Amino acid sequence: MDLITSLVRRPAAASVLSLVGVVLFYVIFGGVELGKLAGAASWVNFAANLGIVAIPVGLLMISGELDISIGAMIPAGSMTTAIISGYYELPIIYGMAGALAVGVVVGLVNGILTIRTTVPSLIITLGTLVAMQGVVLSASKLLTGDASVALTAPEWSKFIFGRLIGGSHQIIIFWWILIAAVYAFVVHQSRYGNWLFAMGGDRESARNCGIPVDRMTIILFVLSATSAAFVGMCQAILFNSAQVSGGMNYIFNTIVSVVVGGVLLTGGFGSVVGIFFGTLTFAIVSQGIYFTDIDRNWSNLIIGVMLLIAVAMNESFRSMATSASTSRKK
Amino acid sequence: MSIRSEGRASGLSLSMLARRPEAGSFVGLVVVYAFFAFLGGAVFTGAPGWSSWLNIAAEVGIVALPVGLLMIAGELDISVGSVIPASSMTAAIVSGHYGLPAPVGIACGLGTGLLVGFVNGYLVTRTRIPSLIVTIGTMFGVMGLTLGFAVLIVGSTSVSLVPDAFTKLILGTFIGGMFNVSMFWWAAFVVSVFFLLHVSPVGNWIFAIGGDRESARNAGIPTRQLTVALYMLSGFAAAFVGILQLMTYQSAQVATGQSFIFNSIMCVVIGGVLLTGGSGSVIGIVTGTVTFAIVNQGIFFSGLDPNIGSVIIGALLLAAVLSNDTFRALALSYSAKKK
Repeated sequence: MDLITSLVRRPAAASVLSLVGVVLFYVIFGGVELGKLAGAASWVNFAANLGIVAIPVGLLMISGELDISIGAMIPAGSMTTAIISGYYELPIIYGMAGALAVGVVVGLVNGILTIRTTVPSLIITLGTLVAMQGVVLSASKLLTGDASVALTAPEWSKFIFGRLIGGSHQIIIFWWILIAAVYAFVVHQSRYGNWLFAMGGDRESARNCGIPVDRMTIILFVLSATSAAFVGMCQAILFNSAQVSGGMNYIFNTIVSVVVGGVLLTGGFGSVVGIFFGTLTFAIVSQGIYFTDIDRNWSNLIIGVMLLIAVAMNESFRSMATSASTSRKK
Repeated sequence: MSIRSEGRASGLSLSMLARRPEAGSFVGLVVVYAFFAFLGGAVFTGAPGWSSWLNIAAEVGIVALPVGLLMIAGELDISVGSVIPASSMTAAIVSGHYGLPAPVGIACGLGTGLLVGFVNGYLVTRTRIPSLIVTIGTMFGVMGLTLGFAVLIVGSTSVSLVPDAFTKLILGTFIGGMFNVSMFWWAAFVVSVFFLLHVSPVGNWIFAIGGDRESARNAGIPTRQLTVALYMLSGFAAAFVGILQLMTYQSAQVATGQSFIFNSIMCVVIGGVLLTGGSGSVIGIVTGTVTFAIVNQGIFFSGLDPNIGSVIIGALLLAAVLSNDTFRALALSYSAKKK
């Protein structure tokens, strides 16, 4: 019993339960064969692309900020790679560096504006979102005269960033697992993780404790923008081309994944493991529906209902977690 | 002596103007209009230019008003993006597919909006889930329902409807071939919301909720009912835009309206409403909407690459919030200077 309560009190509990619930729902009502679903690549690929962006967005949310500019950063990353290495035919390494540099610059802008002004980060990143969409579109029109650019990446870069394993699973899945492991270690084992939670709990007190709040905020924004650019870059290398559109879906998809993963929108609560499972859950709901007898048009309805149920569960688990110490005295 | 007092009086009125919440957005509007008038010339300042941005402003503006009220009360509404297609789809199915009279279809469409608004308001006031998350949830939910039912009932993602002459006249005509009748509806919305926010006591309640919900409740303001009512208003307004679109284009698609989510937020914020609640004005929201629409459409008259438009909107948004910050600091620090 003690084991169960201590498990339930973990921030990841609700997301694991959501995952189990969604799979059960699909198995019972959709007639899914579990083996077929587990072997399918579509939802794992989807989860990996989404998850690499969702983790830093979730960490930002834990620290009390939002980043919606990632919606423009994914096409920005893939277009930069394709324009530098595809259109101008420079070595791929320049294209990759360029894409990541664009991510760093936008992240810096987001971070600096957030700490220097009193404007909420939702509005700041909305501004950079719209601005970056325009920059990417007009830059690609101006430089290449087209809204889609082809890219032939050399073998080694495809081997590392953009190949299909067994003909179906994208290599980015390994990047996702690797990156998630690194984040989990940093957030839950190092002092930086504690700083993060302290910032989300009470920014002013965190600053007074000597935590470099401003630097942490900028680093987090740089991480999220760069991760989005990284995903864009991998997509360009994998698909041999880049489009200016796409990426807008990531805005709400990451927020939903993160919140289903047990992160508190107002900050100070959450975990990397939770975000990981939240992303998996979201991916199974939106892609797994193709394996069911349910008409796929209902998938958005299931996402909405799942989000609200997961958040409600998180709420009750969180109150169990925060009231746990009082029950100890019996 | 008299000169000095005169100077003081005009200085006072100038600083009074600068302290109003819409001051920054008004300056932005003038600059933007002058910029595009310079580039676009007579075509932009004439009827074609005015009609093109007024048509855009009317549609966004009808949604932006209640979204702005909600923001003043400290809440967000993302679900407007899916209520617009839901309402036009409902009306098209009822009147177009089943052939019931237009008023019945319109009532069902508007009812859809009110219902979604009620669900939003209920969930926001009865749970502790932030409104951003609640309305993202209902957005996905309503999107799924619209698509699911459209395919289930009609077997297609788009339904056409030929409105009768009267309905078409009041909800979907282009006056003089250019000016969409929706701008009169926008004007009606502006007047009603202006009355609600700045004349009736409810307006003060909205500001009070946005300033401090707990104190507002303690002061006897029915915060729950008011929040639910505001969500129903924004659902209604979004549904109304859906009806206007249906009557204008004579067909309903399941996948329109997503752009309204961020566009309405941008109009409201450019108009000087504080995202965290408690500050804003209807004039500001209207100014913000017009500014947004002028940039959005003016770019096509300017000879610039149309994509530059979204760079300008992004920069404008940031400039607006930063200058609003400054103006608000002026407004709040003013009493301190008096001593």
